[in-house]
Amino acid sequence: MNAQTPAFPNIHEIWVYLSGSPLLALVLTLGAYQLGVIVYERANRHPLANPVLIAIVLVAATITLIDMPYSKYFEGAQFVHFLLGTATVSLAVPIYKGLGAMRGRILPLLAALLAGGLTSIVSAVGTARLLGADSAIAGGFIAKSVTAPIAMGIAERIGVSPTLTAVFAVSTGILGAVLARYVLDLVRSREWWQRGFAIGVAAHGLGTSRAFSVNPEAGAYSSLAMGLHGVLGAVLIPLGVRVLGL
Amino acid sequence: MMPGLVQILLFQGLGELITHFFLPLIPGPVVGLILLLGFLALRKGVNAPLDEVATVFSQHFGLLFVPAAVGVVMFWPHLKAHAVAIGAALLVSVVLTIAVTALVLKGLSRGSGK
Repeated sequence: MNAQTPAFPNIHEIWVYLSGSPLLALVLTLGAYQLGVIVYERANRHPLANPVLIAIVLVAATITLIDMPYSKYFEGAQFVHFLLGTATVSLAVPIYKGLGAMRGRILPLLAALLAGGLTSIVSAVGTARLLGADSAIAGGFIAKSVTAPIAMGIAERIGVSPTLTAVFAVSTGILGAVLARYVLDLVRSREWWQRGFAIGVAAHGLGTSRAFSVNPEAGAYSSLAMGLHGVLGAVLIPLGVRVLGL
Repeated sequence: MMPGLVQILLFQGLGELITHFFLPLIPGPVVGLILLLGFLALRKGVNAPLDEVATVFSQHFGLLFVPAAVGVVMFWPHLKAHAVAIGAALLVSVVLTIAVTALVLKGLSRGSGK
């Protein structure tokens, strides 16, 4: 851009150069996530110290502070975003491994998944609407109990904001991981496989890592629930929205 | 690792194509996931390179949705105005979803003579 480069470029020039390259957004995203992981480990993997939430807050605060438009940030961060689809396909592996656990329990598991999935949509959208939220926000709740990468794909198909859906999905995962124990004790659910499956239906990935840390059988069933909810949700939610004409 | 990534990308591409031409309602990666699931069922097992890639992805899944979620900055005033509705909706639905799922499982597995 400038013909003669001074021997010591001033900070402003370095800044203009850096903010024009995708590198800044990439370093910011990966660095914030790494910091989130460190905090999470230090906090003994407490669900409230969720590394994704920490990364989102850090990146959002930083780009607001340095006045970087979101579209500019996304230009660089899209390389990370692209892998979301690839990672979604790779979910076939844990689902395949979990299918063995379904044997003899297919009917109760599927019925519970359908009931839970429907409850999640109706109760979230209904409560939000009742308390005066507009359709943009209420729409973000439709897919929020589905694992975030698939939920965002569903959001695109049904014409609601993938961003709000992702944020609500992460919040749901954190809340579910924190509250599941108490709710399950309240309804006197005692079998580990049932407790795990219920966590997975409601709180997808974050609930699943919580379930694994408590009991391996609960973790396996939670992982299975998350996978099935993702696949069935991706097929049934767009169909349902289309049929009901929402 | 590489052969595993190639397999996944192939299924992703296939899924995107099918979605684009035949199934516009379902997200492409999910179609890819279902196809890969069918492939694994046919082969009756997960090959090591595929397993390796899937493990790496599953460990850092969260990182991948940070860029999209940061878009929340654009919704900030809107979200603040509806904070109570959003908080209540999240809380109510998480509690109800866990409770309903657990109760249906308990009811049905007792009914089937467990």
